[in-house]
Amino acid sequence: MVIGGCGGFGLTLAAGEKREIQMLRQLMAVLEEMEWELQYQLTPLSGLCRIGAKAAKGRLQRIFLDLAKQLDGRDQAYVSGCMNGLLVQQKNLPRSVRRLLAGLGNSLGRLDLTGQVQGLQAVKAGCARELERLERNRDTRLRSYQTLGLCAGAALAILLV
Amino acid sequence: MICLWQEFLNIIPPWLRREMGIQEQQRLQELRLRVGAPPELNYGQKSLWLNKIISQEDVAFCVNSASQYSPWASETVAQGYLAAPGGHRVGLCGQGIVRQGVLTGLRDISSVCIRVARDFPGAAEGIHDTGSILILGAPGWGKTTLLRDLIRKRAGRECVCVVDERGELFPEALPRGKRMDVMRGVPKQEGMEMALRTMGPDCIAVDEITSQEDCSAILHANGCGVSLLATAHAGSLEDYLSRKVYAPLIQGDVFDRIIQLRRDKSFREERVVS
Repeated sequence: MVIGGCGGFGLTLAAGEKREIQMLRQLMAVLEEMEWELQYQLTPLSGLCRIGAKAAKGRLQRIFLDLAKQLDGRDQAYVSGCMNGLLVQQKNLPRSVRRLLAGLGNSLGRLDLTGQVQGLQAVKAGCARELERLERNRDTRLRSYQTLGLCAGAALAILLV
Repeated sequence: MICLWQEFLNIIPPWLRREMGIQEQQRLQELRLRVGAPPELNYGQKSLWLNKIISQEDVAFCVNSASQYSPWASETVAQGYLAAPGGHRVGLCGQGIVRQGVLTGLRDISSVCIRVARDFPGAAEGIHDTGSILILGAPGWGKTTLLRDLIRKRAGRECVCVVDERGELFPEALPRGKRMDVMRGVPKQEGMEMALRTMGPDCIAVDEITSQEDCSAILHANGCGVSLLATAHAGSLEDYLSRKVYAPLIQGDVFDRIIQLRRDKSFREERVVS
């Protein structure tokens, strides 16, 4: 049981990292959609978020759809206020994704198109850096998590016996 | 009277919405917000100041809300205003952004003036509605309101193309005429050209002729056999006749009738004799 439990912990770590990579990839796709749409159609922000949400799934999609809804509701002075409100409700969101989304909230709603496009590009660049960091030696690291978990479990079991 | 009041409330900060009662809904003409000063509610003849101070965040709320958090979608920021949903106009005052000698936008906005849009169906009753008509009046005297109803009336029998550059004439929820096409957010000159080329109108309507380019476009359309409905800033007929920018319109004998608005929103109709 101890070996199984520790192995499970290792697997959870590995699964968490996989999920983080998946979300970062989705976020990248969302940002790309938003940037294109913005440059060609000058779509208002709530529409932009809805279009972006189509490129994501699950929680990330929900976040962008909720952001669009909040913007339509017009309860906050700044987009960052809406985004921060949504992030507070999100538990267990990978730290890198949370940081990038908060940065996105700060960059949205700028006064001119050039500034807005540059803001999106900056968040996209941050996203690419995070992905690169996580994907470097990804397979080796994920295997290590699992092996470490199993070994720790085995060691603990021996000690207990 | 039709006023898209909820759209107006959406523009202003939530705490200020609670101060807006039935009296404001019926009579408020303008709401002026200045950073560091109390909000001014303008009812036309008198103003009322609330006992609170406007913050930078309140002004930012108005700008972001009126532009749906997307000021980039509106090129009019550089012209000092935003056309908000519901036809309400948000005038902006702040620090200009100038690039290579051209004003490209505004930042650090310190004051906003929100003009409440109202529609009075039937306002144009009694106007002899034929030929080309120009409505004259000073800001806030009801030029756009009268033009809107005149367009609706004319659109009952003729095909009218409205070039609504600022999106104030016919926002989505206001009633339209039977034979009316609305081109929104297109500059007057291009819009009139497009209408002539593609929509086959009997009449073209534009709001607020202010520049020489607007006058040239009007002259061009006039030469193409369509009638025109328009408004211009002028406190009186004498003002209109003396302003250089309107000289080509007077010399070109473009308008058959001039409607002269007064401060109390009543009007006088004049036949133009060239």
